[in-house]
Amino acid sequence: MKQRQSSIASVAAIAAATIIFSLLMIALSGSGLTAALKGFARGAFGSSYSIAEVLVKAVPLTLCALSVACGFYSGFTNIGAEGQFYIGAVATTCIGMYLPFLPGPLLILLSLILGFAAGGIWAAVPGWLKARFGISEVINTLMFNYIAIGIVGILLQTVLKDPKAFFPVSSYMPEGMWLPRIIPGTRLHAGLVIALLSAAFIYIFIWRTWPGFRIRAVGSNSRACRCAGIGVGSSIMLSSLLSGGFAGIAGSVEIMGLQHRLLDGMSPGYGYLAIVASLLGGSNPFGIIAASIGIAAIQVGAQGMQRSAGVPTAISNIILGGVVLLILLRPMIMKAIGGKAHD
Amino acid sequence: MFLLSFPGDLMEAVLTMRHISKSFFGVPADDDIDFDVRKGEIHALLGENGAGKTTLMNILYGIYEADGGEILWKGGRAEFRSPRDAIERGIGMVHQHFTLVGRLTVSENITLGLKSRGYPFTDRAYLDKKLEEISARYGLPIEPGKRISELSVGEQQRVEIMKLLYREAELLILDEPTAVLTPGETEEFFRVLRRLRSDGRSVIIITHRIPEVMEIADRVTVLRDGRKVCTEEIGNVTEEKLSSYMIGRQLRHIERQAAAAGGIGFSIRGLSMEEGGIPLISDLSLDIAEGEILGIAGVDGNGQKPLAEAIVGIRQYGSGTMSLRSASLDGMSVEERKRLGIGYISDDRHHDGLIMDMSLEENMLLRSDRSGFIRKGFIDFQKLRKETERTVERFAIKTHSVDMPVRLLSGGNQQKLILGREIYSGVHLVIAFQPTRGLDIGASESVRELLLSYRSQGCSVLLISADLEEIFSISDRIAVMHGGRIMGTVSNDGHADMTEIGLMMAGKEMNA
Repeated sequence: MKQRQSSIASVAAIAAATIIFSLLMIALSGSGLTAALKGFARGAFGSSYSIAEVLVKAVPLTLCALSVACGFYSGFTNIGAEGQFYIGAVATTCIGMYLPFLPGPLLILLSLILGFAAGGIWAAVPGWLKARFGISEVINTLMFNYIAIGIVGILLQTVLKDPKAFFPVSSYMPEGMWLPRIIPGTRLHAGLVIALLSAAFIYIFIWRTWPGFRIRAVGSNSRACRCAGIGVGSSIMLSSLLSGGFAGIAGSVEIMGLQHRLLDGMSPGYGYLAIVASLLGGSNPFGIIAASIGIAAIQVGAQGMQRSAGVPTAISNIILGGVVLLILLRPMIMKAIGGKAHD
Repeated sequence: MFLLSFPGDLMEAVLTMRHISKSFFGVPADDDIDFDVRKGEIHALLGENGAGKTTLMNILYGIYEADGGEILWKGGRAEFRSPRDAIERGIGMVHQHFTLVGRLTVSENITLGLKSRGYPFTDRAYLDKKLEEISARYGLPIEPGKRISELSVGEQQRVEIMKLLYREAELLILDEPTAVLTPGETEEFFRVLRRLRSDGRSVIIITHRIPEVMEIADRVTVLRDGRKVCTEEIGNVTEEKLSSYMIGRQLRHIERQAAAAGGIGFSIRGLSMEEGGIPLISDLSLDIAEGEILGIAGVDGNGQKPLAEAIVGIRQYGSGTMSLRSASLDGMSVEERKRLGIGYISDDRHHDGLIMDMSLEENMLLRSDRSGFIRKGFIDFQKLRKETERTVERFAIKTHSVDMPVRLLSGGNQQKLILGREIYSGVHLVIAFQPTRGLDIGASESVRELLLSYRSQGCSVLLISADLEEIFSISDRIAVMHGGRIMGTVSNDGHADMTEIGLMMAGKEMNA
């Protein structure tokens, strides 16, 4: 009981610290507090359009955070969702450019499958290196981001470049491949449904199936799995494949739902923000959805704040960084609160 | 003040714990326990696994916080929030599982975390000299410069005790200290305890081995099911009395019928293994008939673990062949071997046997015969729960529910869960590696009876144990292992020559 109380108290303390910290940051930036807060609220929740904008950002974030969680279950720390996102986007672009004659629904299905496969394989390479040789996946997945982003850059200057465009972008995908808008007049697209289905799929897969159990078991005690005859390497491989796969789908969905073509710097760091979202969501698929929407709201709200009160948007990243620190510190905060209550 | 009429120092309680209670998830682990230790006393805390001994000591040591009660240390009220609090006030504990850094030296381990002379450029030579002084004073021979990973378990324990003495602990808490020692090492260890006592230090020894209590303790406190049964001077009790206090019933004697040995169940020919150029096992051969228990006696660390792991398939072996019921096992994975009917009880349940953060149910899924729990890739939780609950009932595992993480079970109950998981019908070979380590008498007895019942069903059992009594109580034949080889095999027909076995354990080859 006491533990529960201090657990709730610690969450409250983190929330309070975050709010105070945010207000302080806004005040430091020299803008009026009320104007800034009004701008934030209007930007994030002011209209159906702004709410849709929050969800538009939450879609790739959710998918990438699910990706991070899929790796986390087996102890595969995937820092590479960013690169896997781009590789998935490249796969989708190739399909749109080289098979434009196929019917739209087939193109969408093919894109999701190949996006998953491409991102999955991109992550399975570090996965294999970890499973086979015990090489740290943290460094490898991170390095694969640079390789992926470099490849995108090269492709956009060469084979995938739209000859009519001045900037390094691909040509637009055939319209049949565009994901339908689900709220008219906004940019919110059917990728939201894909993200929600993905979360449900991962939940069921990880907690209800045998391969999912193996992944969790290996993440919890790989030595016991070896003694029990559960393949440790294959579980890590599967987990890394899934992990990369969902980041790949994120890239694929972002192309089909929002951008409709491949462009340099398409992700504002979704793959890295995803680590925050996964942490905030406690690696639970539904927690991740909530956390992703929350982060997206902070980011979209920050833009509103900049428009109406001139507060730099960088503030949202500073706040998120602070929140991560506080969350990692939570056990200590809990202990401090529990200790005080005891006296 | 009124106590002055009692014989002086002897009655001075250095530690008093009053009305200590602690429960986990509503299940009381300790219920209103009073406990005290005098200066210069060896006090045994006796009880079966799950009786609440370790919990009580963890409360004293600041690892758990008691739900109720108070602690008096040297006459004043004390509250220990963390082990560091306890250590600073002169209380030290050696856990059942040691907390040493394998790659550091003995001296580095002992002084770990302390700012010693010359810090940050620690004067190692000076420290080593100091350690040697302590070492000589208490008869704890150690080599300060050796790495922990090169030491035997008994030597590592010495380092743990040295760690406490170096920090000038006045009260030493030792959790099941003799569980890992050979008889010779135990004798040596008791000599150390006596020296500590005569030096005015107090020792609490947590144990469930009654003969040891009789031999070494001054007083004994018996716990049963989280309650205190009594505290007695050793002179006032007998082994039988303690045993009935501890388990609340009389011990059964295990009846072992002569083996009706069948055909060859399991055999190894010419097994050799090495690691980094050091031979672990050399040219080892053995046979176990169907319905036979082969006991492997020997001091810990003579190749038993590599042997067990090679049979289960966890370790690769360089040369040699193995077969189970005339099917060759060579080149098979762990899963394939277990599917053929091998059950494995590891000596290290925390790392090898269980996933501590998962529930009892989920740990049941580690069973090799799991096909019944899985339908089309999905886990059949209903079936799994039923089977887990059946195992819990059959093995009398004390738990609140099957959803609880196994971390919260006592050691004995954890071991019972492994047994229930690994031994089921369809298993032809059981590798029982220290199967009763850390288990109480009642649980040990039922484990041994279970092994015997599987033997009578035609199962081959390889029992590897450092506990000779255990080996003798249920084995049909006994092989003695030393330096990765089998020194000789004797039949356990009641006429086995103990001197001969002792000599073989020490490395003398016999042709029996």
